[in-house]
Amino acid sequence: MTRQNISCACDDFRRSTESMRKRFVGESELTRRQLIGWGAAAGLSLYATRAMPVTEVLQAAEADAAAAPNAPVLVSVFLPGGLDLLDTLIPVDYGAYADLRRSVGVTNPQSLNGTSVRIHPGLALGVNGGIRGLYGNGRIAFLPGIDYPDPNLSHFHSRHFWETGVISADDGPGWLGRWLDRNGNGDNPLQGLSLSYDLSPVLRSRSAPVASASSPGNSGFYIRDVYGEPFDQAMAAYTAIARTSGGGPGLRAAKRNAKLAKLVGDVLAPYAKKDGVNPLASAIPYPAGNGFADRLQSLAGLIAAPLGIRMATVDAPGDFDTHSNQRVTLATDLPPLSAALAAFQADLEARAVADRVLTLVWSEFGRRPHDNDSGTDHGAGGLAWIQGTRVNSGFLSQYPDLRSFDEDDNLKVTMDFRTVYASLIEQWMGTDAGAVIPNAGAVGRIQVVR
Amino acid sequence: MARRRTSSHRRDGWTEAHVRRLFWRAGFGATKKEAAYWARRSKAQTIAWLLNGGPGPHVKLPAPRVDGRGLDPANEYGDDVLWWLDKMLRSRRPLQEKMTLFWHDHFATRDQDRPLALAQNKMLRSHALGSFRSLAQAVTKDTAMLLFLSGANSTKDEPNENYARELMELFTLGRGYSERDIREAARALTGFRANYGGNVVRTYYDKSGHDNSKKRIFGKTGNHDWRDVLDLCIDHPRHASFLVTKLWDFFIPTRISPATRSKLVRVYRRSGHRIKPVLREILEHPALYRGLNSPDMVKSPVVYVAGALRACGEGITRDDWVYLLGGMGQRPFDPPSVAGWEGGLAWLSTNSMHVRFDFANVLLQGSRRVKDGSTPTNLSAKQALARAKAATGRPWTSARTDSALLRLARRLLSDAKPPPGGYRPPKQERADMCQRVLRHLLICGPDAQVH
Repeated sequence: MTRQNISCACDDFRRSTESMRKRFVGESELTRRQLIGWGAAAGLSLYATRAMPVTEVLQAAEADAAAAPNAPVLVSVFLPGGLDLLDTLIPVDYGAYADLRRSVGVTNPQSLNGTSVRIHPGLALGVNGGIRGLYGNGRIAFLPGIDYPDPNLSHFHSRHFWETGVISADDGPGWLGRWLDRNGNGDNPLQGLSLSYDLSPVLRSRSAPVASASSPGNSGFYIRDVYGEPFDQAMAAYTAIARTSGGGPGLRAAKRNAKLAKLVGDVLAPYAKKDGVNPLASAIPYPAGNGFADRLQSLAGLIAAPLGIRMATVDAPGDFDTHSNQRVTLATDLPPLSAALAAFQADLEARAVADRVLTLVWSEFGRRPHDNDSGTDHGAGGLAWIQGTRVNSGFLSQYPDLRSFDEDDNLKVTMDFRTVYASLIEQWMGTDAGAVIPNAGAVGRIQVVR
Repeated sequence: MARRRTSSHRRDGWTEAHVRRLFWRAGFGATKKEAAYWARRSKAQTIAWLLNGGPGPHVKLPAPRVDGRGLDPANEYGDDVLWWLDKMLRSRRPLQEKMTLFWHDHFATRDQDRPLALAQNKMLRSHALGSFRSLAQAVTKDTAMLLFLSGANSTKDEPNENYARELMELFTLGRGYSERDIREAARALTGFRANYGGNVVRTYYDKSGHDNSKKRIFGKTGNHDWRDVLDLCIDHPRHASFLVTKLWDFFIPTRISPATRSKLVRVYRRSGHRIKPVLREILEHPALYRGLNSPDMVKSPVVYVAGALRACGEGITRDDWVYLLGGMGQRPFDPPSVAGWEGGLAWLSTNSMHVRFDFANVLLQGSRRVKDGSTPTNLSAKQALARAKAATGRPWTSARTDSALLRLARRLLSDAKPPPGGYRPPKQERADMCQRVLRHLLICGPDAQVH
């Protein structure tokens, strides 16, 4: 799993990409205008609000938010591919590092406030000094060497373990989905929200309603050339069909998601862009042309709204599976990551909700200490971090020893990710970890919240 | 035709519903004409046509044309997707196209230049129903794959493990190998190089880059090279079971039984690891035809889109399908990772249902739009629903859905007064809207998501 940085030979290709993007944007603007136009023409009938259960959900969400205005929120940000530790947080033992990374290696690392560890310069980019700045301001806890005992070097197994919180290849709900099953709301799909096309496996639940939205401002439903009462009745029929019983797991999943999609569309309708104004826009400048940053911006706005969001997931762009071209790939992919996450944190603070949000940034494993001439192969002991105003900032795990490896020549794991999960559930979400993480008693705890 | 309606066909209980199920699973749905034609033949004849091709009814759809021009898949953004989608709509070998999609998911490759991605696609198509060994060899030396999984320029001095690992985990075995097997196989796979000079990357095999020392893979020691690694994987005891199970899951949503799996393994091995005999077994299996009136396999976005276009008789005349497929989570040539798409129930999320709903808005415009004043105003609810079903290729709906749609049609066509504050359009407009709404919900409602 790797991306080659081969530039496309054809300029026309890029030009048409741009025109396509413009057309797509144009199309959705039109859609919104139509929608608003029809709503006005038809007086957006009362029928809809009376016949649809959306008000119940809105009320449930608002009641949730009102009952617990300071309810903690946990955001999971996944960095796909297995982020390298050594080239991201450059170790103190620089002699050993230089020997291991003869042909990869970061040539101009920056200092990291109050430590002898250094940091990739790409992570110093962004508002307030990017990730490096967040660390300097006491808003980051780094977890170098994080993994689990006897690490599996398959992307898909390892990622599945992190997603479910269970070291098992069996299918099952995600660890945040399980938390919602036990502690969430039975009506509000926005309590667990993936800002993406698909629902993140981290949020997959057994029973709790959860949602995904790739563009929350564009979640509304319309039917071309149908308005007024016929439209309301059509949507009522769609919901009625979705509420019928019967069918196997496939059809039932289609019905359930149809019903929830309609609710999400209705609940998010007030947050759609109108007349060029984006109600979720932020006072903080986010990096432009960065879809990840756009999603984080929407998320910050939605967290600040009374929607009862408790768990959210966003996948970072970039491919950290750097078997080849590691130096170029990290130099390309870390700056937008840093800029987007720093803007997100500043935004939460500007919206005065930062004290109830922690963000866990993780990847499925680390990489081999010895490089392979152009990149690094799959290894153990990666890097995760938690960011937020309430995090117990600093280094919460031991940086792995660069002179003593495991039997596969990989870094020795210094932190079990389940320790972090259990600590977050107890100290941040304030609930029993044993109900979510199997055998939570055996994985120990660290202080993650200050 | 009459000659074919013999008692032997009635004896095997082969009906239009069987044909529709088979064409959904082995292709992208049957048109009305195809369903009728193959229902008049036997099950064996229909499956033989899917496997081998031959004469059959021709699907009349226009050649693709977008914005007044033909497709240029190597250069124009999104035209690669439309080019393949068109094949799914018009191919006379729907199973070959479906299997090309299967292999694209199995040997998932992304982020490569269009000409390389298109060359790989053609290669997959040419091997789609043939020998797995030949296919695996072609994939291993395929330029897009060599670049994607770092096979190119992995040399004896610095072997790269990327391809070796995914070859075992995702392409041939699933499990049953060790980290050492991966490292040794990585050494055996060395020797491929890439030449980046000029506009097109070229890959080739260079013996001088190959590690000629002994390697021990699955307990077998020798001076293995890349072909030996493939043979070792394909002859590994886990391979046959791994592959036939994945094939089964692609066609049938219920889990394969141990007895059926053993049988498929036997068929696969005895045929010399050929795909077609395994497919024949799967397409003939009663489990594929179970619950004809309660389908439960989730349509992947590509199958959903291609199926709806075929059902409505719509060719490639617009490029919206490209962004819609992306929004539903399956843009061809862009799998999320080397593991392909997760599939199954994971296709369905609130977001994907919303995009699948929007898809109907795009499909039902232009020539598919119900024009103002085009609907008779004297239709009963039942007639209105029949008209909408005919226009959308008679999609499957449950009895409950039919009642809900009939109720909706009755309301829309009723002359009763609207509720206070409500707006009710005039009669002709309501008749047109009723058609729009019924067709829309038939295309994108929950029932349309399964096959």
